[in-house]
Amino acid sequence: MSSISSPSVRGAQAAPGQGIGLYLAIGCLVAVLGFALPFVGLPKNLLALLTSASISAILATAVGFLVRQAGLSSFGHAAFYGGAAYAIALLVKYTSLPAEVVVLAAPLLIVGLGVVVSLILLRTNGIAFSMLSLAMAQAVYELVMKWRDLANGEDGLRIRFAREIFGLKLSFFQKADTMFLVTWAVLVVVIAILVLVSRSNFGTLTIAIKNNEERARFLGYRTLWPRVVILALSALIAALGGTLFALYNGYVTPSLLHWTLSGEALIIAIIGGTRSVWAPAVGAFVFVILRDVAGNYTTHWQSIVGLVLIAVVLTLPNGIGGALTAFTNRFGGRQNG
Amino acid sequence: MADGYMLEARGLTRRYAGFTALNNVSFALREGEIRGLIGSNGAGKSTCMDVLTGRGKNPIGTVRLGGEDISKLSQRERRAKGLSRSFQKTSIFPDLTIREQVRLAARNAELDNSEEVISELALSSIADRLASDVSYGDQRRVDLALALVGRPKLLLLDEPAAGLTVEESLSMARMLRDLSERWKLTVMLVEHDMEVIFAICDRLTVLHLGEVLTEGDPESVRSNPEVIRAYLGSSFA
Ligand SMILES: Nc1ncnc2c1ncn2[C@@H]1O[C@H](COP(=O)(O)OP(=O)(O)OP(=O)(O)O)[C@@H](O)[C@H]1O
Ligand SMILES: [Mg+2]
Repeated sequence: MSSISSPSVRGAQAAPGQGIGLYLAIGCLVAVLGFALPFVGLPKNLLALLTSASISAILATAVGFLVRQAGLSSFGHAAFYGGAAYAIALLVKYTSLPAEVVVLAAPLLIVGLGVVVSLILLRTNGIAFSMLSLAMAQAVYELVMKWRDLANGEDGLRIRFAREIFGLKLSFFQKADTMFLVTWAVLVVVIAILVLVSRSNFGTLTIAIKNNEERARFLGYRTLWPRVVILALSALIAALGGTLFALYNGYVTPSLLHWTLSGEALIIAIIGGTRSVWAPAVGAFVFVILRDVAGNYTTHWQSIVGLVLIAVVLTLPNGIGGALTAFTNRFGGRQNG
Repeated sequence: MADGYMLEARGLTRRYAGFTALNNVSFALREGEIRGLIGSNGAGKSTCMDVLTGRGKNPIGTVRLGGEDISKLSQRERRAKGLSRSFQKTSIFPDLTIREQVRLAARNAELDNSEEVISELALSSIADRLASDVSYGDQRRVDLALALVGRPKLLLLDEPAAGLTVEESLSMARMLRDLSERWKLTVMLVEHDMEVIFAICDRLTVLHLGEVLTEGDPESVRSNPEVIRAYLGSSFA
């Protein structure tokens, strides 16, 4: 009778779900403090760096969310990111649509594409998914490289935006001190929405499908479409990142579509950690700043970043985010929860 | 359900490339009955549950649940009709808390009795822990909870007590008996431990090499010479 009547309880461990208030408070604080950054006299190039980092953070969040909710490591998110940026460049070049329409339509176009692609991709899992996503994304890269008449091949395209977008001067989107506010706002909203999704019934279902698809099916659930929705959402967020990049930089090159960009986003997500929705974004800021600092001291910045990656993987199995969570739990008094 | 049978299975068959794992197996379970499905390793017990639930390719045979033919339905649709099962290997969701997954399992049922099931299965005190964080015995009860929640019409349990101590399996068995009486569950139970089988089953079906060797009440099965020869061995005679 013992095990039924007195289940073993191994130490008092806080339940996920308790102590959410603390995380919410920290999250709100960081979000609000971020908006103050352009007003505290930071050097221009640091703000520019932070703006790029926020855009990288959006892409890494997209990639990390797919790992977290679906267990899928994409090597092809550059196709969504660069795809949205190229969609903007091409729509501006070949149509006379207002810039506002172009900026809103491009990510939606990419999501539509993402849904179609996901119906093929999601027949696979694990390594097969990673390889197929890599192959499909590289096909887009090759197309842009080879079809010079379309998008100027490896030279890329300058995007001739109108002088005003959404009633704001173009320079608002192309100067770091103002654009940072936009990229930061998008990042904050994206993370907030993804946290809500991950905590919803739907989020629970997708974790269940990731853990044990067959049992989920036997509990009466369809298991393909929730994965499609997660992939489409992830694609949308990557596309938002690409849209912001296009707005900020005003040009596109094929490197935005290259698999190394997808790989970098995945590395960033892993450094940050994929247990929490927000962790890949933390990874992005660490990565971009580290790359910049390392680049100031040595031309071999890649090896420094590589060493840091190895150190993180070896010492922090759940990434920087996992370490931060453990730290917060310890000093937030959650262990007695 | 004119004839009072909750489950009628006829001609269940499964062939794997040249090998027949289950051959023309038929049986019927009355509402509220606990049926033991026994037989030696490889006899076809798990395969029988697979065919009943529509798992795997081309299940052959007809399955009627509460009088309704569900043979053509998918696994998902069968669950919606009230056919629930557990698997021989622990099959739970390690990254969800116990409460989250029991609720998830209840969402497709007509009745959400997840809190009731959590407390009946003595999972209340650990309900907010991740399933990967609890002991093996607790995980087996989580597995059972996923199958049990929503009060299915028919519950197929494939060795729910596998790997538990004798004491734990007997206590799980008693709990099953108790719940099946209170909730009017019809249960088909695969179990190797004869003590458990004899303690709670109303009737037994014995499989041998993919075919029904015999069926009857526990006493007559226990004394059936064929069963003794094929499965039980002389120690149970
Ligand atoms: N996918 C498969 N392909 C080929 N043969 C299979 C497959 N699955 C099961 N079998 C065979 O079918 C037979 C019945 O297997 P099954 O798992 O139903 O037995 P069981 O009665 O549940 O045994 P156990 O008590 O070991 O769980 C076995 O001989 C097994 O090797
Ligand atoms: Mg078996």
